[in-house]
Amino acid sequence: MSEHTLINEHPDFAKAQVIVAGVDVGAVSSKSVILLDGQPCAVSQVKTRMPEESASRAINEALAKTNFKLENIHYIVGTGCGRTQVPFAHRTITEIPCDAAGAVHIWGPSVRTVLDIGGQSCRVIHCTGKGRATAFLWNDKCAAGIGRSMEVFANLVKKEVTEMGNIALQSDKFPKLSDFCSVYAQSEFFDLIRSKASKEQAIAAYHYAMAKRIATLAARSGVKQDFVIIGGLARNPGITDWVEKILEVRRLAPKPEWDPALITALGAALFADTFYRRQQSDVSKKPEESQCA
Amino acid sequence: MNIGKILAGIDAGHVATKAVIMRGRELLGYCTVPTGFDVVDAAQAALNSALKNTGISGNELGRIVATGIFKEIIKVPSLNVTKTVPEYVADATGAFFLNKNSRTVIDIGGNIHKAVSYDQDGTLLDVIQNDKCADGLGIFYTNMANALGLSEEEMSELALKSTKNLSIAIQCSLSAESDAIDLMCQGADIADVAGAVSRFIVERVADMCTYMPLTKDIVVIGGLAKSRAIVNHLPDLTKKEVSVLKLPEYVGAIGAAISDGGEK
Repeated sequence: MSEHTLINEHPDFAKAQVIVAGVDVGAVSSKSVILLDGQPCAVSQVKTRMPEESASRAINEALAKTNFKLENIHYIVGTGCGRTQVPFAHRTITEIPCDAAGAVHIWGPSVRTVLDIGGQSCRVIHCTGKGRATAFLWNDKCAAGIGRSMEVFANLVKKEVTEMGNIALQSDKFPKLSDFCSVYAQSEFFDLIRSKASKEQAIAAYHYAMAKRIATLAARSGVKQDFVIIGGLARNPGITDWVEKILEVRRLAPKPEWDPALITALGAALFADTFYRRQQSDVSKKPEESQCA
Repeated sequence: MNIGKILAGIDAGHVATKAVIMRGRELLGYCTVPTGFDVVDAAQAALNSALKNTGISGNELGRIVATGIFKEIIKVPSLNVTKTVPEYVADATGAFFLNKNSRTVIDIGGNIHKAVSYDQDGTLLDVIQNDKCADGLGIFYTNMANALGLSEEEMSELALKSTKNLSIAIQCSLSAESDAIDLMCQGADIADVAGAVSRFIVERVADMCTYMPLTKDIVVIGGLAKSRAIVNHLPDLTKKEVSVLKLPEYVGAIGAAISDGGEK
């Protein structure tokens, strides 16, 4: 298996045999990745509004970076919670196999556990060295929306998410907030400000509570190494560092050239590639089981 | 009574800090700024902008009264806050001042909603506040407007056009958010999602109100009182007529400014 971690800056559309795309319509943002003969050539990330319109916006934004059109794409796979609303998708699959396929593609066959912390949901996936998902655990309802609540929280304190994450790491001693419900955590955060806690302490307390929530979920499913964190919140060092500390597991270093939020869309694109190639070759020989890369 | 005296009221809320400037019982100027992290800065900024709107200088202020969740924090020398009054006192004082026939005020704010009842003299009778599971309705509302890519006003207008009575969670705004997202992902109409969001909020407020008899006239204040959709739903669920006061988000600050609170 080859690793393509770099985005091809000079895609040659005319020579490409297989053009595929993955579109991941998430609760907070919609992402797309276009592959030319298995090589990433364009990616995009836009805010999700209504799912159908957002899917189109995501793919169009990626297409704008290429010299071809939607019709030129041979196969498109939709994923994410809004996957049923992607009108131009040839097929839809859930996020779970996409997470696994994308993560193994980026970090290599040693990956066994993928933690995806997104805007609305958070999940743990166990996978094989070939990127096939073997087990997963989805968040319960009380742990929903951590990504979005982080965004709301960043707005409240008027900070950008990554910057806020760095502030969270500046404080070691802080009061514990509710780590079960983020509505409680938010209210208790206000109580903290009222008791005149420092800004660093309050932000650290909130991040710790959210990280604890995520780590509890991950611990319940068991974390096998190598471990990676993907999804929008993987960009927040306040969350990822605390998750690592609580779980006592180091994750593989993030790849600076890949936004962790795009991994699921990449996985979907890899599936599109496989599906298209299989469709072109003799389908009847190996009809079942998708195998990525 | 302080007729002619220039009074200021600052309502330092969870999400927004409101300031009003009054001469006696006449409202001269007002301003809102996001509270953010630096509560004192926000209070100062709100007060300065409110003063700027009136052309009065800070020195002429006879008294500054603070209310809102962060009232104790903004009691710093630089702001020169004379005294503080509890939020429910400020709400009742402000609402009774603006509408002499009112006997109950429902305040739907950023993080807390509450109802206060009082008699024909404006004397407090009862107060009720939401339980913790219902915290953050205002934040949730703003949040959902963002998620739908709408302004709060647009969401409210769309909600009024909703034809299907879709329902989201019964208890917690976190679940409500998940449910709303699920609806969107199943391809529900945006107006129906907006309608479900507004109705969820009103259900929470109405639930709270069952713990206290609502005496007429009932007025609604707070940031969410600006949503027509929410105000339209309220009578259905509380089975009572309600009206919205003018400048609903400033009622607490007005109440603070004019409250005597024991000081003569």
